[in-house]
Amino acid sequence: MSHPATTGPKLRLDAVRKTFTVPRSGAEVVAVETADLAIEAGEFLTIVGPSGCGKSTILNMLAGLELPTGGTVAMDGRKITGPAAERGMVFQDYALFPWKTVFENIEFGLRYGPHGKGLSTAERRSRVARCVELVGLGGSEQKYPHELSGGMRQRCGIARLVANEPDVLLMDEPFAALDAQTRIILQEELLRIWGETGDRAERRTVVFITHAIDEAVFLSDRVVVMSAHPGRIIEILDVDLPRPRTDATRTRPEFQALSQTIWNLIRDEVYRAATAAGSAGGAGD
Amino acid sequence: MSTTRWPRYFILPVALIVLWQLWGMTLPARSRAPVPLDVLASAVELVASGRLPMAILQSLGRVGLGFLVAGAIALVLGLLMGFFRPVERNLDPIIESFRPVAPIALLPLAILWLGTGTPAAVFIVAYAAFFPMIVNTIAGVKGVERRLVQAAQTLGVPQLTILRTVVLPAALPSIFVGVRVAMGLAWMSIIAAELAVGSKGGGGGSGGVGEMMFVFYAYYIELDSIVVCMIAVGLVALAIDHGLRWLQRWLMPWAEQYR
Repeated sequence: MSHPATTGPKLRLDAVRKTFTVPRSGAEVVAVETADLAIEAGEFLTIVGPSGCGKSTILNMLAGLELPTGGTVAMDGRKITGPAAERGMVFQDYALFPWKTVFENIEFGLRYGPHGKGLSTAERRSRVARCVELVGLGGSEQKYPHELSGGMRQRCGIARLVANEPDVLLMDEPFAALDAQTRIILQEELLRIWGETGDRAERRTVVFITHAIDEAVFLSDRVVVMSAHPGRIIEILDVDLPRPRTDATRTRPEFQALSQTIWNLIRDEVYRAATAAGSAGGAGD
Repeated sequence: MSTTRWPRYFILPVALIVLWQLWGMTLPARSRAPVPLDVLASAVELVASGRLPMAILQSLGRVGLGFLVAGAIALVLGLLMGFFRPVERNLDPIIESFRPVAPIALLPLAILWLGTGTPAAVFIVAYAAFFPMIVNTIAGVKGVERRLVQAAQTLGVPQLTILRTVVLPAALPSIFVGVRVAMGLAWMSIIAAELAVGSKGGGGGSGGVGEMMFVFYAYYIELDSIVVCMIAVGLVALAIDHGLRWLQRWLMPWAEQYR
């Protein structure tokens, strides 16, 4: 794992603004309004907020898939101008390659991207095999994505990301499409894969998007709360819960209190959005 | 389909052929109307003599060659046009303005430049096959889920590699629709081209099924043989389409479940 020479934050948003022009009408929609955020190396940071708050837009800008309209997004002090293998992503809808097997999906980044350069075929294969085991997909290597359950597909998505060994892991509501039980299991496994029990310096930086408050609190070191119309950061909260986090974590009073605090921050807006559903077009979150 | 069921599929065709035969027998002998029994006799003669198989092989060779040329150009251009907007903006007007021009309309030019042999016929086939393939390739590329491309981008894969490893396989089902439509058109236009070029007979003939049909019509007025050629053309087209469908299933076992 590479360590930056500077001691600044791993990722930084500096007065970031993102607007979209609506096709046809030409109207301008503000997706993100002047966001400032510094994300430390090895930190697990979660962004929560209602639909249309711009949380996914921020993640896409960190990935380099979208560029800000104003301000800068930087990694290790260098401006982000496009996607790169250092910033890998996991998608809500998995985005697995349907014509490739589980093994080939996980191998994809190493085979065609820069992080596999210099690896022999045998080294590459053994790294993929390790990742298959890491996410518990042993025995399913030769299956195609359509043969897997949602939970197993996302395990494959996570393994594809981890195998490529990015510096930063960007996760866009990865568990949103899964059932409640599978979610809980994958949350715990994600923390294990991230290295919760290991050395703090070995952990990668994670930016995780969700609209589930309990998920945000359970996983994170810090929670960024956003609000919509226009999308902006309204609060950044530290999560002082001991690691490793377990089932018992969820019953702790601090867990409940923090979840309640976050809920209070966004409750009015969620109710407004729920009752006005359909009347206003969101900016796409 | 089980062996006990297949005869049912033949009830209607067989009934129609019987009706055709009965109707033909009521006509005066000089009407030259083809009737099934005469067609059958003619077919046996044409196949046994090897003339029909040779003609079909020759036409097939031209279709195959023209098809490969068109496919290679359409695939490369279509991928680039679908993926890179500036390429599309520049090439689209040219392609769209040629598209409505029927292949046969180019025949005079083809004969003038390339003569009456194989090159002209291949040119017409390639021209006919090109458009459905490029249009479907572009549509397929544009229909590729953006998330798949983004997944590859965030793994650090370079654009041109993404084109080959993500966009091409993801667009393959749509590309194959174009291939099947193009194959039908190519086969249609080879017959038309050979028919037209066939009039040059007497040394400069084009060969192929089309010329054969022209000769039967213009020199011998053998309608039975022309019907044999028509049926042969239809059967070959059917066989090719089945082959392509089989290839599709073999190449894309994941596609049915995925789409």
